[in-house]
This record gives sequence, C-alpha cells and structure tokens, in this order.
Amino acid sequence: MTEQAISPPLRQRPAKPLHPMRTAMHLLRWATVALLLAFTLIPLIFMVTTSLKSPIEIRVSGSLFPSEGIFLVNWERAFRNVPLPRYLWNSLVVGVMSTTMTLLVAVPASYAIVRFRAGGRWLPSWILGTYVAPPIVISVPVFMLMRSVGLVDQPFGLALLHMVANLPVATWMLMDFIRSLPVEVEEAAQMDGASYWGVLLRIVVPLILPGLIATAIICLILSWNEFLFALILTYSLRSQTFPIGISEFQGEHGLQFGEISAAALTGIVPVYVLAMFFQRYLIHGLTRGSVK
Amino acid sequence: MHTLHRQHRREILWMVGPAVLTLIVFSLYPLIYSIALSATDSQLARPFREFVAFKNYTDAARDALFGNSLVLTFIYAFGVTAIETIIGFGLALLLNRESGPTRFARTLGLLPFITPPVAIAAIWRLIYDPSSGMLNHYLVRAGILEQNVAFLGIPGLAMASVMLVDIWQWTPFVFLLSLAVLASLPHEPYEAAAVDGANGWQQFIHITLPMCLPGLLVIAILRLIGAMKVFDLVFMLTFGGPGSSTQVASFYIYKVAFQQFKTGYASAMTIIVIIVLSVLVTLLTALYRRAQAKYGP
Repeated sequence: MTEQAISPPLRQRPAKPLHPMRTAMHLLRWATVALLLAFTLIPLIFMVTTSLKSPIEIRVSGSLFPSEGIFLVNWERAFRNVPLPRYLWNSLVVGVMSTTMTLLVAVPASYAIVRFRAGGRWLPSWILGTYVAPPIVISVPVFMLMRSVGLVDQPFGLALLHMVANLPVATWMLMDFIRSLPVEVEEAAQMDGASYWGVLLRIVVPLILPGLIATAIICLILSWNEFLFALILTYSLRSQTFPIGISEFQGEHGLQFGEISAAALTGIVPVYVLAMFFQRYLIHGLTRGSVK
Repeated sequence: MHTLHRQHRREILWMVGPAVLTLIVFSLYPLIYSIALSATDSQLARPFREFVAFKNYTDAARDALFGNSLVLTFIYAFGVTAIETIIGFGLALLLNRESGPTRFARTLGLLPFITPPVAIAAIWRLIYDPSSGMLNHYLVRAGILEQNVAFLGIPGLAMASVMLVDIWQWTPFVFLLSLAVLASLPHEPYEAAAVDGANGWQQFIHITLPMCLPGLLVIAILRLIGAMKVFDLVFMLTFGGPGSSTQVASFYIYKVAFQQFKTGYASAMTIIVIIVLSVLVTLLTALYRRAQAKYGP
C-alpha cells in the first residue's frame, strides 16, 4: 500500500540533534506545499469565481475574486444556451459502456497473458505498444470503418473507440495486479477440477477487486475526458459528449467566459467527486506499475 | 506451467480472443488501410481514387508545415517531460516522508490530471486573455509587465503558454509516481552508508538517484508518449496559431484529414509519424534496459 511505506530513510542523518535544521526543513516543506497549492488551485478557483462574476466584470477585470457581488446569470445562461445535461448524459453512457467493454476484454486477456503466457511476448507488447500511437494515426481508417458499419454519431461507436484507447492502460494495470497474486491458490483450485474461467471468475477477480475498481475508475475518467475521437465521430446531440459541448460553446457564442466556466465545472465536479470517493484505490492503482 | 489439455487451450483462446480481435480490427487493419491509402490521391468522401505511389511521401518530405509540426511536437514533448520530471521528482524528494504536508499534497496532486483537458484549456484561455485575463491583471499590477501581453498571440510565447498548461496538469502525476518510487527503495544501502559516515548529499548522489533512475525513466517515458499525443490543448487554446507556431503533428494531420479532407496525404503523414515514434520508443526502451541492468534491483 502507498499509505504505510512512504518513509525510506532518505534524510536519515547521524543521530545528532539538528533541531533548527529540522524546523527549517519543515517550514520549507510547508512553503513548498503552499506554493504547489496555489499553482494547482488558483486556476480551479478562478473558474469557480469567474462563473459567479457578472458578465461585465469578467470583461473588464481579471481579478481572482469578484468585487461586484455574486451572480448566477452565467449558470442560467450556460444551461439555457447549451444542452449541458444532454452532453453529460452522453458522456456517462459512453463512459459506462466503454469501461464495461474494456474490462470484459482486458481482464481475461491479462489473466491469460500473466498465468499462461498466452500470445508469448508479442501479445502483451502489441497491446501495450498501441498506447504509443497517438489517436490521430488511426482516426482516418477508423472513421471510414465506423461510417461503413453505421456507427458514426452513435454512443456505442465512440465507446468502442474509447475501449480501444483504454485497453493498453487497463491491461498494464491488471497484469500487474494479477502478477502480485500468489499462484498457489489458483493451482489448488485447478487441482480440485475448476476450469480456468472458473478460477478467474471465482478466485482471481474477487482477489484483485481493489485493482479492478481502480482500473474501472481510470477508464471511466479517461473516457469522460477524451476529445479527439469524440470530435471526429460525433455530430449531433445523439452522441456528442461533454468535451465536445465545451468546444461548441466557444464556437457558437464567442468568448462568454462566465458561461464556459460554469459549463466546464458541470463536467469537472463529477470527476472530482468520483476521485475523492475512490481516492485510495486511485493512488494505489496509479502508482503501482511504475515501481516495478 | 504444465501440459495444456485441449479444453484448457480452448479456454485460453477465449480469454485472449476478444483482445486479439480488437487489435486486428483497430490496430492492424488501420495500419494496412493507412499504408494503402497513403499511396493514393484520396479524399475523405472518395477513398482510393488514384494511385500515386510515393507522391504523398515526397510531398510530405517537402512540406515545411509538416516538418515544422514534427519539430514542434518534439519541442513540446521533450520540453514538458523534462520540466515535469525535474519538478515532480524534486517535490517528491522534498516531501518524501509521511507527514501532514505530504498527505495533503498527495490528495491535491490527484486533481489536475483527472480534470478534462478541454475544461482546463477553457479556463487557461481566460487566464491568458490579453484584455481581461488574470495573468495580465496581476503581472501588470505587480509591475512585472508594463502592459497587457497576448500570451497566446505571439509565436514562441504561445507555445510556452500551451506547455505551461501541460505542466500544470501533469507535474502532480510525476510527483505522485515519484513518491511511490522513493517508497519502494530498500533501507539497507542507507544504513550501510550511515555507518560509513556518508552525509545526506552523498547518499542522494550515490544511492537515491541511481536507484530511482529506472523508475524515473518509466515515468518520463510515460509522459513523453503522452505529450507526443497533444491535441486537445492546442485545439482549444490556440488552434495551431498564431500562424503555425503551435501546430503540432496531431493537430496538423487532423486539419489535413478532416478539414481539407486530404486523407491520402494525411495517411502518408501518419505512417511517417508511426515510424518516427517507433524509432523513438525503441531507443527509449534500450535506454531503460541499460539503466535497469546497471541500477535495477
């Protein structure tokens, strides 16, 4: 777990009392965190305050906090001018579909790769290697393919591409979780006559559940945030997702920063709530792979 | 493991089947399709019109905008990766102990890279705005700038401004992963060094840095690959401009394919990008292997 083992003896010194030094380090640490906090949070705070400023104040002043009182007019207009709930709903549908598909494909594949070396070396290399290619390099063929099978401007079509994009990330994470399981339990179950699928579903999946949750959350967020495939593949409210909604905003109404800020926040808040809720899983899942 | 019965072999086949099918349809097929398309003078609405052999490739080699987009992509990717790795790792070193500030920073660090890039770009556009942006507001007030600056409107500066948003978004990611790398270091070398009387700086140079190197390389490679894909920030912040000064490869290919509809030419460029990236990744993997062999566990 990340929680317990964060203190290797990096700053271990001979046991001399270094109290002024310690205090200085402690102050430096807090000062760094404060600076980091400011750099990270100011844009986010600015987004909130901008959405609450009067449109006139936004035009004349870039101050962080509103000076003319708080207005909700940007929020009203954002929801009136742009069908935000529809975009958010589409994002949710695409996210849930693509995450489900990603796990259905990645979990058995990761298991077979780790435990049975299925596909030798080239299968894991191929899956992980697809992560290197920028989405734009497959966008023309994939667009033609999707158009020929009628999946353009369909949530399912976009979800399919998000599954493709997230497959290497999910496989990378899941392979690591499965590898960390002791193989003896699985072998004992096989001795008792369980099939490979039985072992996977009844023993492996429950054991890697925290990792599975972390993987699912990350896939969901990646799909929610994805822009290029959505831009190419969606044309109407039937399938346009939240990032497309935000980009449309700028096109149609000029630069109404207050409205854009309000609209952007409607898509950010769900992600933050999700992340805070599953914080431990997320940090755990994200940081494991790099340590190996 | 042990000899596979026929039934077991079939089970394994069903486990990897969907993944293999996905790879064939969405990776192998697009590659072959792109290669074929790149040899033709195709438009989006009418593919495979006229066979032109290597004309698209020779065009790409002569296209100054394409060369420019590759150079910009490399500047962007290597630039943000270097800065994010140095700052992120530095922060992790400083905050490498279980204490209030660290726990706090770890929670906070999660936010930027899970924020939708399009939403981030929207707010940074207002921060950079030449007439009512926050950056101008405070920099002028503090006397650092004499008058408002169009951060996204000046070549060079625009690129740096886009890169700053990437740095805002991904430095915390490097920080979080670096903390995990530091946490995985074994204790024994430090104990031995302490017995030998090595001071903190010597420990850092001779123990921490070499032992972190493989892990750090993984993080840097992840960031480099991610930054090579940059599209949404450019689309939202500058749309490639001013001029073509932020027109990175993904964005230029997008414009050629989906705004000028020259899919044949765009395919030739994607093949070139794939080759360039393959070479780059091969080099990086070799670099990682060497670091791993020399310093790994």
